[in-house]
Amino acid sequence: MFDWFNQIHWEHLFNPELALDSLPLLIEGLQITMIISLFSMLFALLFGLVVGIARMSKFKLLSFPARAYISFMRGTPLLVFIFILYYGLPVIGIQFTSPIVAAIVGISLNFAGYNAEIIRSAIMSVPKGQWEAAESLQMNYFQMMRRIIIPQATRIALPPTFSIFMDIIKGTSLASVITVHELLYSARIVAGRTYESMTMYIAAALIYWIVCVIIGYFQQRLEARYNRYISN
Amino acid sequence: MIEISNLNKKFDETTVLESIDFSVKKGEVVALIGASGSGKTTLLRCLNLLETPNSGTITIGDTTQVFSERPLKKTEKLKLRQYSGMVFQGFHLFPHKTVIENIIEAPLIVKKESKETLIKKGEALLDKVGMIDHLDKFPDALSGGQQQRVAIARALMMEPDVMLFDEPTSALDPQLVREVLKVIEELANEGQTMIIVTHEMNFAKRVADKVLFMDDGYIIEEGSPEKVLVHPEKQQTKSFLQLLDDEA
Repeated sequence: MFDWFNQIHWEHLFNPELALDSLPLLIEGLQITMIISLFSMLFALLFGLVVGIARMSKFKLLSFPARAYISFMRGTPLLVFIFILYYGLPVIGIQFTSPIVAAIVGISLNFAGYNAEIIRSAIMSVPKGQWEAAESLQMNYFQMMRRIIIPQATRIALPPTFSIFMDIIKGTSLASVITVHELLYSARIVAGRTYESMTMYIAAALIYWIVCVIIGYFQQRLEARYNRYISN
Repeated sequence: MIEISNLNKKFDETTVLESIDFSVKKGEVVALIGASGSGKTTLLRCLNLLETPNSGTITIGDTTQVFSERPLKKTEKLKLRQYSGMVFQGFHLFPHKTVIENIIEAPLIVKKESKETLIKKGEALLDKVGMIDHLDKFPDALSGGQQQRVAIARALMMEPDVMLFDEPTSALDPQLVREVLKVIEELANEGQTMIIVTHEMNFAKRVADKVLFMDDGYIIEEGSPEKVLVHPEKQQTKSFLQLLDDEA
């Protein structure tokens, strides 16, 4: 038992010196990761809201395409979708100017499907009495949505939306396979040069984790804000 | 002030209201009574267009709406709705807004009145319903009776010609019923026109000018509380009142 433990070459698993030395390069990659994540999240939210509302429409012409869209995006792997966008679209003459743009488009469109479902279920979980009270007070649909329904739905949608954001941040690592120089790509460059793959992957994992911890902190703050009207 | 004639309402194939006719004069208090499923809540909701009748006519103030299978336009809905304020069995205050925010919300957003004026007006109304000390609380921190009194103030803020109460005390603990009925009675004494769906027979006797007894979608009997509640003529009314007596 102890023989086994003593025979482990810890320096192959994690070499702190190398990790520290390559930190500037990793941080550079992290910047690209965050740019892709933030833009993707923003577009996925906006487009998800549109698709979510269309999905709830009583008009088949709106709800059916929305359903099909959500079904496709939830049913296909992000990596496959990114491949189709980046390598498939040029065949029909659409070429992305940079792989970063392709990544943002792919991640946004894919996660918009998830966001649409989150938004739809959050809006539908606002009790019927709230809709009726707003209606009986002569509010029109837009006023009711903006002032009464969406603020309450936001509270419900907050935790799953933050999970999506973390999924997006981690999902950007897939962009490394279409040569986007983000966090994982930077780690792989050093790994290839030094043959210390494990050190670099563990370093990258720790950085993803730290970013998600920070985001989790913001989630808690926001949740507390939105929960302030609930007793106990 | 309110004229309803030949009103019919179906849910799918089930008829819930059948040739309803009645009228309410300005300042009158009408109590709607009857068993669960008799259609009284649906009738009330039709007046506020939370349900749309299938046929018939509703006149409130100087607006007349004729109903048919054609869906109502948004403008038609809003036009008729501006005459009435609704108080629900389950209060339905906006949980994300404080008491004062709850009651100024609709006039602020719908009528675009100034916030300062509305806060003054709101405070006066909250004082009237005994809720002035709870101005900045969220609904969740209030008892059911307190929430319902705020809900009454919220409806009054829109200055409706008629107040519609849908079993306003049915969801309350027994000891909280009185504080709400007291507020409603005060409103009645001030001459507020109102229609109230209720199971509180003593309250109906004391406050109502007119009682309508409904059964199975029809108005079976109507008249003064004395006539309908004490000396009912129809068999259905008699058995309904008997049932209530047996329970009490």
